[in-house]
Amino acid sequence: MSQKFENLSALVDGENSQFDLQGNELITAIKNDKDLEQKWHSYHVIRYGLRKELPQQMQFDIAAKVMLALESEPAILAPKRNWRDLPVLGSVIPFVKQGGQMAIAASVAVAMIIGVQQFNQNEADQPFNSAAPILGIPGGLSPVSFEQTNTMPQNDMMEQRRRINAFIADHQQQMRLKSVELNITPSSVEQPAKNDFQPEILNDTP
Amino acid sequence: MISSLKFLTIHLKFITVPRIGVLLALLCISTESLAQENQDTELQADFAISQYPSDTAEAWLSKMAKAFKSLNYSISFVVLKPGVDSQPYLWRHAIDENGIEMEQLNLLNGPGREVVRIGNKVSYFEPNVPPYSLQSSTINGPFPSELFYQPEKLFDSYEFVLVGRSRVSGRSAQQIRVISNDKSRFGLNLWLDQESGLLLKMNMVNLEGQPLEQIQVAAIQVTEQPDPFFARIDLPMLPDILVMRGQQATTPRWKLNYLPLGMHVAKQDIHRLPMTGELVDYILLTDGLVDVSIYLQPMASAKASQDLIGRHESNTILTRQMGEVSVTLVGKIPAVTADAILKSIQLVQ
Repeated sequence: MSQKFENLSALVDGENSQFDLQGNELITAIKNDKDLEQKWHSYHVIRYGLRKELPQQMQFDIAAKVMLALESEPAILAPKRNWRDLPVLGSVIPFVKQGGQMAIAASVAVAMIIGVQQFNQNEADQPFNSAAPILGIPGGLSPVSFEQTNTMPQNDMMEQRRRINAFIADHQQQMRLKSVELNITPSSVEQPAKNDFQPEILNDTP
Repeated sequence: MISSLKFLTIHLKFITVPRIGVLLALLCISTESLAQENQDTELQADFAISQYPSDTAEAWLSKMAKAFKSLNYSISFVVLKPGVDSQPYLWRHAIDENGIEMEQLNLLNGPGREVVRIGNKVSYFEPNVPPYSLQSSTINGPFPSELFYQPEKLFDSYEFVLVGRSRVSGRSAQQIRVISNDKSRFGLNLWLDQESGLLLKMNMVNLEGQPLEQIQVAAIQVTEQPDPFFARIDLPMLPDILVMRGQQATTPRWKLNYLPLGMHVAKQDIHRLPMTGELVDYILLTDGLVDVSIYLQPMASAKASQDLIGRHESNTILTRQMGEVSVTLVGKIPAVTADAILKSIQLVQ
């Protein structure tokens, strides 16, 4: 038994050198062996834990729980007789039913197409590799996007945007000046202030 | 008992796995004999490295810091940020015969933006602004300087996890994950060059592990001699150091009741915004890795503003109306943390 777990552990780590030979057997064994399957699962969880890759919310096997719930569901013993049980209609109705099923299938297909389209659009908004080239100075200020709850008059919006840009520009400048101020030595503090320093940094800093 | 033993063996295996992965890759591309040779050299290299105490993340980071400060190197890298075109940079560093550090950072696209540092003098050459110099020992670039030069300062607020080895920029790299201890800030994934300890790749990721910002090194060169570029710099021609106006000691009017672990107030003052000329109460927070700016304005001058949350590149921008005051926060932190900080602001009576 422990040898089996040892082999499994090696496989999870990618250490199994004779993967083709033993690995295939092992995978078949995992499929048939509940114990091994459970171990396979927990080794991966441990591995993620060690690598600090665990998601914020752990989603353990939902399927098993649903199965359990279904099993404990009371069975319907005596279904009520309805029109389907009439001898004549019994053979006709399935066509209607089939139509219904097809309609459902079609709507699923439509939903899937829409879903896929939306999914693709989301893909295009991915932060990397998809940024449209910005005209003008590369690394310059790019527009700020807001998630606003209610609409604002155009003027206010411009004003808001201007203020936010001012904040961002100031933030960049403060970050640059920070290292200067943190490095101030007693000798440099004693120097008289020769000129007021107010650099106009129009673009954000790299 | 058995499970804890298992835990240990798995842990040990992780340390060796990536190396074996590299070996397997080598086996695939080489002939049998070559592979044998490679294996030998690889093992020797490993031996040399394990003599160097770099089997912990901390040791790797001190190796990195030492490399960044003491080597002559030339690194080409690309910065990727959401919503902005990729920005390629050339970064050179050298030590002259008197032991003075020289550094150059050059944005390669567009009209150019160049920063040169000689010792403690940093000169900025940028379009639209007359060149100027600041007295500082670091360049304010696209990378977190404090992490590169003084990583030990971050050990209290961030956890450094040695993850494994992989191949980055054509070199074998050690991956290190950086996670804030209180999960209140974005994380980093670092890949360090196994040989020199220099950075090969850096990903800033949000709390779900999605990338926010990426620095990818394309080429790295470590040389015996300083790059000839540094010999061409005409020291007297560099702009004079701007002398900062002495900081007026204003009594802080605001108090923050919540700060993420390791973050402290680096500066608190009243100044005018460069673009609009508005007067703001200002607080700068830093934890060594990220800087956060907080601006406070009376409601009247912040007319037409309302609560909003936005994103500029990887900065979170959050504005909140708090009584008679409009408060805005700018910084690379999750919105949840930004909100918690803003809500904790209190007027000192």
